[in-house]
Amino acid sequence: MTDEDREIQGAGAAGGEAGAPDAVRRRLLAMAGAAAALVLAPGVTVLARDLAVKGARGGRVRYGLLIDARACRTGCDACVRACQDYNGLSRDPGPDNAQWIRKVTITDPGTGFTRSFPVMCQHCADGACVDVCPTGASFRRPDGIVLVDKHRCIGCRYCLMACPYKARSFVGRNVTDQRPWAPRGKGTAEGCTLCVERVTAGDLPACVAACQRAGHKAMTFGNLHDPKSAIAVRLSEVATTTLRADLGMRPGVHYRGI
Amino acid sequence: MRRRAGVLAVVAVLLAIGLVWAAHRGPVVVPVIPRAPGHCVLPIGQMRRTHMMLLRAVRQEIVRHDARDTRFRISGCVACHAQDTPSGRPIPVNAPGQFCAVCHAYVGVHIDCFACHAAVPPSRRLVARLAGQGVEQVEFRIPQALRAQFAGGAVSGGGQ
Repeated sequence: MTDEDREIQGAGAAGGEAGAPDAVRRRLLAMAGAAAALVLAPGVTVLARDLAVKGARGGRVRYGLLIDARACRTGCDACVRACQDYNGLSRDPGPDNAQWIRKVTITDPGTGFTRSFPVMCQHCADGACVDVCPTGASFRRPDGIVLVDKHRCIGCRYCLMACPYKARSFVGRNVTDQRPWAPRGKGTAEGCTLCVERVTAGDLPACVAACQRAGHKAMTFGNLHDPKSAIAVRLSEVATTTLRADLGMRPGVHYRGI
Repeated sequence: MRRRAGVLAVVAVLLAIGLVWAAHRGPVVVPVIPRAPGHCVLPIGQMRRTHMMLLRAVRQEIVRHDARDTRFRISGCVACHAQDTPSGRPIPVNAPGQFCAVCHAYVGVHIDCFACHAAVPPSRRLVARLAGQGVEQVEFRIPQALRAQFAGGAVSGGGQ
């Protein structure tokens, strides 16, 4: 554990005080950056990593994607299928079934110029989904990944309406065969998690890995705030855009060639 | 003296009625908890008293603070405690008589953890397929790996 990591210290749940961990954690969070550890039982400690750790060059971590629409093949849906397979989503998305990533084809009617590229949660810095969520279930982690805390989600679907990218889905039917790493069930909103547990373990998101395996290499994942990361270098060299940049939500997903 | 004998007689009659009734009902049913090999992450008594609080505290830490190294993940419970059918298929831990359901049914507690969380470990086929794609999901690997890790951990405890 480095000094950049944060520990959260709390009283023992083992003592039978049901409310104690929450109360203590709240107190400690107010201590802003103090080293602490959540003690769940005598000798049992949970270390929470500070996601707002400073990167190698002093910048804060913000995960993002660069999608090169010029390299993305029309008709290829390797990223979509990899997402469905890894996260246990249905292969048959519908009104009551979730879809975390989809292929979109755009055509300029004037010139006939056509591009095909994937669209998923854009992991905005100022996402509308986080703004409108009445329970705080829709939240942005300090490392830039936007998630739904399904323990808090009440299924109101405001985020589905607010997101201009239509990146959120609502699960409207009972779900079986969930992946252990992707709990999901009826009555909650959900969206791309950027494969958060893979990213935490140092892996690439499933869609990015699948795109590489397919040989297209249209997707780059990395820390936008690390100037030496492949994605930051690329973004500094080539002209890219974000979808609906006019909305000012500062997406973490960048596109090239659209 | 006579009064005392009368009280004793009443008690004896009540006792007899109670015994007959108990015999009619059969023995008291206590949950038979399916056992998992190796050691749990905490002593059994502690887990029985506090698992709900541990899971509740940890879910906050995992979802919102990314404490993904914790041993108190619900998927860890499932990985060790899911029983197999004789043909080797995992039985959901919330199925009647299984590890989670047996006590919760006994004490009349309704949990909805498994409306969203997987109640069986990932199949070997899925783990193999993901491994073929270079995914290192160590903590969700075949339960034996997890069991060895827990058994060798620093936490001492009972053998369930």
